[in-house]
Amino acid sequence: MRKLSVALLGVVAGAGLFAQGITPPKTQLKVGDEAPDFSLPSTQGGRVKLSDFHGKNVVVLAFYPAAFTGG
Amino acid sequence: MAYQAGIAKFNDTDTKVFGISTDNTPSQREFAAKNNITVPFLSDFAKREVSKEYGVLIESAGMANRATFVIDKDGKILHIEEGNSAIDPTGAAEACSRAAHRGQ
Repeated sequence: MRKLSVALLGVVAGAGLFAQGITPPKTQLKVGDEAPDFSLPSTQGGRVKLSDFHGKNVVVLAFYPAAFTGG
Repeated sequence: MAYQAGIAKFNDTDTKVFGISTDNTPSQREFAAKNNITVPFLSDFAKREVSKEYGVLIESAGMANRATFVIDKDGKILHIEEGNSAIDPTGAAEACSRAAHRGQ
């Protein structure tokens, strides 16, 4: 019986992990946190570095799944 | 792209708006051209590093979740929208407007 319980627990834990894999992530960042700096290639040529806007602009980053999903 | 429709809301502030996805730059250019999008897109194709750092990477798909971050002039996060609520730019636009009116 105990063995069965352990096996069942394993199945439940496994299912939980699987569900986690397909559940959308939740960011660990919070309002007030320093935004992680980055430098990425832009469609308008060159690279864009977040810290270049410090002291100059408010920046909106819109992450989206893929270019062909529309929205 | 809903963001394009809502972009006018950002016009009265000195705000920079960027789309970020894990597509490569040529795909993003094609998408922008087809949809008459003028907002620059940044490609997180190489390592998915930025999506990871912002906690929005859907690991199994190698794609970013839909999410909007508003970052103030000091580099601090002012506003976060995740998932479907991120499609509507109203909340982000209001955060930008508040930041601008703080007279930084």
